[in-house]
Amino acid sequence: MKTQKQKADEETNVFGNASKDELPQKEISEYILKRLSKKADDVVLTTVNANKTQIKFVNNKISNITNWNATSIDVFLSSKKRLVTTTMKAFTKEDVDKAIDTLMKFVKNTKPNKEYRGIAKGPFKYQEIEETYDKGFLTIGEKGIDYVEAGINESLKHGAKRVSGVLETTTSNVNLKTNYNIDVDEKGTSLYYSVRSLVDKYASGHQTACARMLKNFSPENAASESAEIAKMSQNPEQGKLGKFDILFAPMPFSNILDHVGQAASIFNVESGLSCLGGKMNKKIGSEKVTLIDDGRLKNGFHSSMFDAEGMPTQRTTIIENGKLKSYLHNTTTAKKYKTKSTGNAGIITPSPNNLIFSTGNQSDEEMISGIKKGIYVTNVWYTRFQNYSTGDFSTIPRDGCFYIENGKIKNPIKGIRISDNLLNVMKMVDSLGKTPQQVYCWEIDTPVTTPKVLVKGLNITKPNTA
Amino acid sequence: MKKKNIEKYRKDVVDMDYDLADFAIETAQKHGADYAEARLESTEGDGFLLKNGIPQVSGFDLIKGIGMRFLVKNAMSSFCTNVLDKKSIEEGIIKAIKSANASKRINEKIEFAKEPSYKANYQVKEKIKLADIGPDEKISLLYEIQKKIAQTKVRTMGTYLSLSTYGTERYFTNNEGSRIISKIPRTNFFYYVTVEEKGQSAQRFWQYGSATGWEYVKEMNYPEILKTDVLALSSTLKNGKRAPTGNLDVVCGPQVVGIMVHESVGHPYEADRILGREAAQAGESFLSPDKIGYKIGSDVVNVVDDPTIENSYGYYLYDDEGVKARPKNLIKNGVITEFLHNRSTAAELGVKSNAAARVTHYDREPIVRMSNTMVVPGDQTEEELISGIKNGIYMKNFMEWNIDDKRLNQKYVGSESYLIKNGQITDPIKWPAIEIETPQLWSSVDGVAKNTELHAGSCGKGEPMQAIPVLFGGPSIRLRNIRLSLGNI
Repeated sequence: MKTQKQKADEETNVFGNASKDELPQKEISEYILKRLSKKADDVVLTTVNANKTQIKFVNNKISNITNWNATSIDVFLSSKKRLVTTTMKAFTKEDVDKAIDTLMKFVKNTKPNKEYRGIAKGPFKYQEIEETYDKGFLTIGEKGIDYVEAGINESLKHGAKRVSGVLETTTSNVNLKTNYNIDVDEKGTSLYYSVRSLVDKYASGHQTACARMLKNFSPENAASESAEIAKMSQNPEQGKLGKFDILFAPMPFSNILDHVGQAASIFNVESGLSCLGGKMNKKIGSEKVTLIDDGRLKNGFHSSMFDAEGMPTQRTTIIENGKLKSYLHNTTTAKKYKTKSTGNAGIITPSPNNLIFSTGNQSDEEMISGIKKGIYVTNVWYTRFQNYSTGDFSTIPRDGCFYIENGKIKNPIKGIRISDNLLNVMKMVDSLGKTPQQVYCWEIDTPVTTPKVLVKGLNITKPNTA
Repeated sequence: MKKKNIEKYRKDVVDMDYDLADFAIETAQKHGADYAEARLESTEGDGFLLKNGIPQVSGFDLIKGIGMRFLVKNAMSSFCTNVLDKKSIEEGIIKAIKSANASKRINEKIEFAKEPSYKANYQVKEKIKLADIGPDEKISLLYEIQKKIAQTKVRTMGTYLSLSTYGTERYFTNNEGSRIISKIPRTNFFYYVTVEEKGQSAQRFWQYGSATGWEYVKEMNYPEILKTDVLALSSTLKNGKRAPTGNLDVVCGPQVVGIMVHESVGHPYEADRILGREAAQAGESFLSPDKIGYKIGSDVVNVVDDPTIENSYGYYLYDDEGVKARPKNLIKNGVITEFLHNRSTAAELGVKSNAAARVTHYDREPIVRMSNTMVVPGDQTEEELISGIKNGIYMKNFMEWNIDDKRLNQKYVGSESYLIKNGQITDPIKWPAIEIETPQLWSSVDGVAKNTELHAGSCGKGEPMQAIPVLFGGPSIRLRNIRLSLGNI
């Protein structure tokens, strides 16, 4: 007779989500730190032990279930301003010693980074972040398949003919230690669901759901919403050229805001890859535009107590009421610009953690009712830049896309492209919805929380044959 | 070569315990897998980054791991790990097989096309071994490029130069008897450069890659390539007129042809997209299985995808399902002749796999990918194509581009571009844009030159993302009566 615990363990094992209390690589990382500290100025070791399961479903059926068991130690080392990184994924004593020897040989033969000004010096007090670790994950077991099946059924019930996507569950243990009195552990869990419903080849809807806790996770809503969009988008007409007011759903606007967040990285500003260069304290958006990076966001998909050099993460206002207030910094870049780290290391490339856009008070109906000639865009993809430093870009609406006339959705459209400028999009933000959604998906690297957003007068182009 | 550079900074590849993959196959069968395959991988490489002339960070990686995939009564499951001991591998296999069984009530019934099994061992010879080139020499090359840019006296708002090299050894085996070992070195150089003139800026990125030793990097002369690019951007900014719009004839250079053929021929011909398997990720295709034999372009359009080109960035002789690679004729005389397949899409459409299944690393699933995709050269010169145009443009390379998720509606914004008047290239222009649908694009081709160039890219697909090395290209082509619009001026 099996005990409840044995049964639970068996169930856990199906999906590989059991997380161990002790990092198996902890001793190894201590050994590496001891050896490297003798020879290096700065050392950061990040040990990650992650178990992840992905259920991929295609055309209403489960197509593949993949389990990953991944362990790695990211090493950063500086010696006389010569900087080297490596990711170790092989852990026999021989492998580790070889990697250390190669590191030291490597560091001697690289050239100094004259701009480097060191890493964060601890110790720090780290406060736990609400709703980032869920013990319930340990017994998720076959519920993953149940979630997928329920989502497919929900989508079919709402009119879809084909449903595809993924469900991912991840548990991770991270330890970060440096030679400056930092040694911190963090456990995390996350759920990610992406569902695309199709009624036919040219009528589809896409929605995602992501959360750190089971209680915040509602894949069935995402499935039904994607199906509703698909149903509405049947028999689309060719869209037209010209200027249109664009009502962005949270998913496509997150795609655009992800690029604004990346443009706020001081690394991209210095590289000529940002349209925010030289615009500090200048007006770059409408009064409605406030963009915050929050590494400590409750239930934030990328929330973590510390950044890549062990600095406690924080909430940073990037844009406030249209005015650019801060770039994203690590310790080195902050010293260079005589400011404080914003807790966004990357030791070389600071990057956003979780982006949050302003929320307004308008309902969908109120936003649509004010549009004379516009388009409701539920998804975009393939955002590419003509020039990152000017912000000139285009992006292609994908899935349900609807023409709006005189305050009403008239008909679905297809075959168009938004060809405009990132700063112009920020300037033309007109009104904000009242229901924010956290979005993370295939084309969006940074989790973004945003409501629906209405942007006035953007340029729409299309092929000449259409 | 300086003496210190003769020292090996790393081994070509790291020793692998092939027995682990054999053990995985036996273990999977023991626990109920009808089909089992394993990819054992060892990759060792390094990378260097110079930003605005300052070295940022150097890196090296050693990756060792195993990826396995199983069919259990036609249900598929996979397990990937870098914990390379038999106990962990067996535990992972048991979990994966349990997963497959647990999904039975709702799983897709997956079948693989029957293919011969192979025993093979192949490797790319390096004339100058990548492992013999030290970090100092690699960074020195980036410095040299930066110096060459500075010598142009053109004002740059930013330069981003990235160089990486790596070697991958892979052992593929399955329970059908295949045992294939490959050792492939690769080089990759990627850059962004932003140029400013008269208060205006222009930006260019590009990539070069090979499956070779260091000899390719030496032959390529990257400093000269960057110098040419920077001067061209500067000249266009200073002297470029506003590009004409409306219906005109266009000659596209090999870089533009490369991105066109990759985006609007290679991708929509991937059978997994056609069958909806990537619907929630990279999208589907405007094509359906019954479109073999469909006329998609003019008679002069021929497109091939060929992984067997020696030293090419997308090189392989056996794919990651162990199927022997061959050139695939995607378009012949304007007619669609073949899609790209792995074993499961081939079985679904009742054909043989044509060896297009690839993985980036051991921890990814094999999905349908391009390799080296190109327009087959014709017999004209580029000058002859241009001489046949009274009023048009020449688009040598491009900046922004994109295409919809069914691969119909695409846009290319020209970077270095010129007016053509009475058969002659005249003034530089900024910034012409082609926005066109796929059938019209390939139907409007009336001339194909013979100046073939192949260019490197990292093609993104899959979830988790797999950025896989590919080449794309061909010779210059001439498009008749295309509507041109403008990029952002």
